[in-house]
Amino acid sequence: MSPAPPTPPTRRALLRAGACGLLGAAAAGCGFMPAQRPDAGALAPVPPRVDGDLVYFNWADYVDPAVFKGFEKEYGVRVVQSNFDSMEGMVAKLNAGNRYDIVFPTAKWAQRLVRGGRLRRIDHSHLTNAHAIFGTYTYFADPWYDPGSAHTVPFTAYKTGIGWRRDRIGELTGSWKDLWSDKARGKVFLLDDRDEVLGMGALQLGLDVSTGDGRDLDRIASLLGTLRPRLRGFSSDSYNNLLNGNAVMTQAWSGDMAAMLNQAKDPSVFGFQAPKEGTPINSDCYAIPWNAPHPGTAMLFIDYMLRPENVKKNIEYIGYPMPVAGTEKTYADLVRPFPECLVTQDDLKADLFFRNGGRAAEDARDTAWTHVKAG
Amino acid sequence: MALLRPSSRSRRRKADSGGNRMWIWFMLPGTLWMTGFLIASLILVAVLAVGTTDELGNPRFGFDLTGVRALADPAYTEVLVRSLGYALLTCLICLLIAYPVAYTIALHGGRYKNALIAAIVVPFFANYLVRMYGWSVVLSDDGPVLRALRAIGLADGDTKILNTGVGVIAGLVYGFVVFMIIPLYAALERLDVSLIEAGRDLYGGPVRTFLFVTLPATRQGAAAGLVLVFLPAMGDFVSAQLMGGPDQIMIGNLIQDKFFQGQNWPLGSALTMLLMLVLLVGMFGYLRRTRKDEAEARR
Repeated sequence: MSPAPPTPPTRRALLRAGACGLLGAAAAGCGFMPAQRPDAGALAPVPPRVDGDLVYFNWADYVDPAVFKGFEKEYGVRVVQSNFDSMEGMVAKLNAGNRYDIVFPTAKWAQRLVRGGRLRRIDHSHLTNAHAIFGTYTYFADPWYDPGSAHTVPFTAYKTGIGWRRDRIGELTGSWKDLWSDKARGKVFLLDDRDEVLGMGALQLGLDVSTGDGRDLDRIASLLGTLRPRLRGFSSDSYNNLLNGNAVMTQAWSGDMAAMLNQAKDPSVFGFQAPKEGTPINSDCYAIPWNAPHPGTAMLFIDYMLRPENVKKNIEYIGYPMPVAGTEKTYADLVRPFPECLVTQDDLKADLFFRNGGRAAEDARDTAWTHVKAG
Repeated sequence: MALLRPSSRSRRRKADSGGNRMWIWFMLPGTLWMTGFLIASLILVAVLAVGTTDELGNPRFGFDLTGVRALADPAYTEVLVRSLGYALLTCLICLLIAYPVAYTIALHGGRYKNALIAAIVVPFFANYLVRMYGWSVVLSDDGPVLRALRAIGLADGDTKILNTGVGVIAGLVYGFVVFMIIPLYAALERLDVSLIEAGRDLYGGPVRTFLFVTLPATRQGAAAGLVLVFLPAMGDFVSAQLMGGPDQIMIGNLIQDKFFQGQNWPLGSALTMLLMLVLLVGMFGYLRRTRKDEAEARR
């Protein structure tokens, strides 16, 4: 205890403290400075071996809990789970320096992470079950987003089509033009997703789904302008909209339609079509961030997830197909009412993935989307 | 109240001169919190409004006016004006709903006052998003409300509540009405009932007494409520997202889009600054009004 009474801070001291707080908070924004690329040696592949608990980062409910339990029991490690609700959120966490052993980016984001040097390389010869993917689904042996799949292993694949209520409007013609159908007028939703909506317009006009060309985008925007007065809204909650009757027709992801099968009392009143002009394809993949604390356990986890019995469990739990040889029937059985949910080799060959564009192209797409959405 | 003012002020002055600097310590946490999380993040948004994006879509510091220039697009003005209209309408409806509620509870609630206020506040403990999601299910085309209305012949197959302007404003009113009730209740609770009696004694009818005695005395509560409702309503995106259609998009939805799907943080930040500017003008009006009120009260 000091003999002198403690002196209270003066007004100036208070201001100084405030300024320090300000600087500290501004420093936290240094994530917005050009980041240093991690050095290449740190990104070398590691063999599968237990090197700690698994720090897992994924969409919520995207793996069967029984599979986690099995993994924990077999290798004597814990799975420490956290979830993201958007790709942007996931990458923001990674950029902020949070450390995860395994993450699940979509193709487009995988490419960004690979280009940014944020992913550790994966040696497929370390994975005993890798041949079930790369041997059969050759598309993934050298995908556009990660040459040679050097940093990623595909997890799920899905496509975009039209979900509709058979009981309300009967059969469709198998085209994206069905969205303009008078029978559905005022009860049509589009996904609240820039790429999907612009891509749907592009497919009808025979343009590239990821086009960033100003003239292409003007044509797409004016085509979609004719659909806008017939729309009820932009919503990615397709299956609830179909179930509760707000929508008689909606642009929908195949995975959501499969998930709806569990919710619907009578699935035969619903339909899902993959339009003939083409259906956008997307996929999620396994990836190990550059700063993963336990990359060895992550490798073990990927291999464990690729075991056919675990793939089947996951397919049944989440309703998304996985490009693993020998599991196709499991998925086909699951989505029997909606056979067009299947993602075939031909679908992959059509290669209608949404690609990353340059800054100018992204800005042009963004402006077009604002005009489509806000009218 | 006016009578109390001078004495409380002189007492405060005495405490200061007595060397009691407690207030500094009391202010410290608040000051740090506000500088750290509010002012610093505002500065960050302002700086990012003229920033750039790298090839990964990450925002970067820099100087580039593309985002600011994009604000000239008439689509943003249109949506901003619509949001302003929705927010003002929400304020008005909230005031009309909240005043009678607060009045009844404050002046006629008796010993149930606290219970009644609790009954109003408790539902708001549940997350706004969850409640709105619930409403979107209840009000859906095959939901219980429309099914009941159809059964008794008050609605036909084409009637809809969701995805309309009415739906969005109803959502905003439902979401924020409690911010109007509480300050009005506080103002009415403080109101000296003998003022009303005096008004009646001076031959004022119930309407005249209400208009010239009760209403002016609770003006500050209403003003506080209007600000508390207007600010969140103007920036809201949940109601338009869940209850609105393509023609009900609000500025909050566009800002959210820029930060997420568009990965265009500079434009998102510029839009945020524009919204802040509009709100600041409103706040400035409010502050001038209350200062004038205070000056009047002191006289």
